[in-house]
Amino acid sequence: MASRPTVNVRSAAGEATTSLPLPAVLTAPIRLDVVQQVHKSLAKNKRQAYAVNVKAGHQTSAESWGTGRAVARIPRVGGGGTHRSGQAAFGNMCRGGRMFAPTKTWRKWHVKVNQNQRRFAVVSALAASALPSLVLARGHRIEEIEEVPLVVASAVESFVKTKEAVALLKTLNAYPDVVKVSTSRKLRAGKGKLRNRRHRQRRGPLIVYNEDNGIVKAFRNLPGVELVNVRRLSLLQLAPGGHLGRFVIWTESAFGLLDEVFGTFDTAAVYKKDYLLPTAKISNPDVTRLINSSEIQAVVRPAGPKTQKRPWSQKKNPLTNKAVLFRLNPYAKAYRKQQLEKKSEKSKKEKAAGEAFLGTLFAP
Amino acid sequence: MSSDLQWLLIRKYNSFMVKKVPEGPVFSREAGNLPNLHSYKYSGLANAKTIAVTDTGSNIQLSYSKKGASPNAVKPAKATYSIRSRSGPRRSLGAAAKLSKRGYRPDLRPVLLARVSALSATKKEPKSWPAKKPRGKKAKAATA
Repeated sequence: MASRPTVNVRSAAGEATTSLPLPAVLTAPIRLDVVQQVHKSLAKNKRQAYAVNVKAGHQTSAESWGTGRAVARIPRVGGGGTHRSGQAAFGNMCRGGRMFAPTKTWRKWHVKVNQNQRRFAVVSALAASALPSLVLARGHRIEEIEEVPLVVASAVESFVKTKEAVALLKTLNAYPDVVKVSTSRKLRAGKGKLRNRRHRQRRGPLIVYNEDNGIVKAFRNLPGVELVNVRRLSLLQLAPGGHLGRFVIWTESAFGLLDEVFGTFDTAAVYKKDYLLPTAKISNPDVTRLINSSEIQAVVRPAGPKTQKRPWSQKKNPLTNKAVLFRLNPYAKAYRKQQLEKKSEKSKKEKAAGEAFLGTLFAP
Repeated sequence: MSSDLQWLLIRKYNSFMVKKVPEGPVFSREAGNLPNLHSYKYSGLANAKTIAVTDTGSNIQLSYSKKGASPNAVKPAKATYSIRSRSGPRRSLGAAAKLSKRGYRPDLRPVLLARVSALSATKKEPKSWPAKKPRGKKAKAATA
């Protein structure tokens, strides 16, 4: 990298005041596959155990009737005087039987993900949050904002009123993203409505702070807005649904702490033991630039003509195409000429019948 | 970040994709996508240079990325150019084609002109036709 790009810090009034160098973590390699896989596993770690009743389908004293009664050998409910007697029981194919492979509470609910993979995914998601096109592609309404990553002064951390928070988001032109969340709020389909998940809505901006001097309470009532301490960034918030490019608003001190939290490409992180950022496999992923580079162009064969010639001429039928016929069969021309002459001779010869002939034809 | 890599990240899934017809074309509704097709060439997200044509209601607006803008900038990275309202289709097309003439995405010229042309066609005032004369039964009823 030639020169480290800088990012402006915006005051509460919205104008750029100072600037900070872009932390190394925001230029880390972005691996969609790693993020998706880690997210898939991490998302499972919040699940609660569920299972069917262990006794379900087995609360009967059914015994098989054995062979010879012309019915299947499945256990059957004994006794009489009720419809249940004689009915099959236990099997997963039976009415009132247990399910196939009853679910158990000791299923493996949680998935272990290696620490380095988790960190890689977080780092990737952070780097993706610093690219405007990826944040747009996730669906955030950031067309009107000045810059991505969006950094605001640390004074915002001591906001206590939601009114101030709304005013800040409006001056940053980030409020449309909150409005989007608000209008997207819909009643959830299905039983989730009864299980404290009544509504579903989009995700809004994620606000990352260094120290909570009231900022959490100021922002938390805005729909879709989430807040997190810079030391506890989670993939579930940075890439919800495994989709990269969450819209992140940083406070100045949180942004300045990123190099300490995640380290750089050559200095280890302060908050993680011996952690260096993952490096990209190739330094220049610009394929067009690579192809057009003088180094590559020097060794490739020169480009051929744009339209390729057919290696064979178009197939012509010699039976209908005379020119091709004469090329294949030199005699054909002479033969055809002969035939034509013969034909014309014949037509010359054909004359009206003579008097002698007609005289004999019509007998008196 | 190279546009090739960005395209790989948004190719499989992004919020602008429209996959309504099974096995059919995949459309895309982002701003800089001139034919609204989901492809690298026309992507308004992945490409560094894009042209967005929008109808503001009063006129047609072209917005394109500024030269030398920082890769982090969002709003300031875009320059807008409005085609004067009441300029006819020929003038509008000429104004739009200026970008391509300058060497700014000359490959997008045909789709850019198509979009500007379609938008300027909507600006046309509907022709006023003379009122229809009643014929037959209605004519008789009118005279009587």
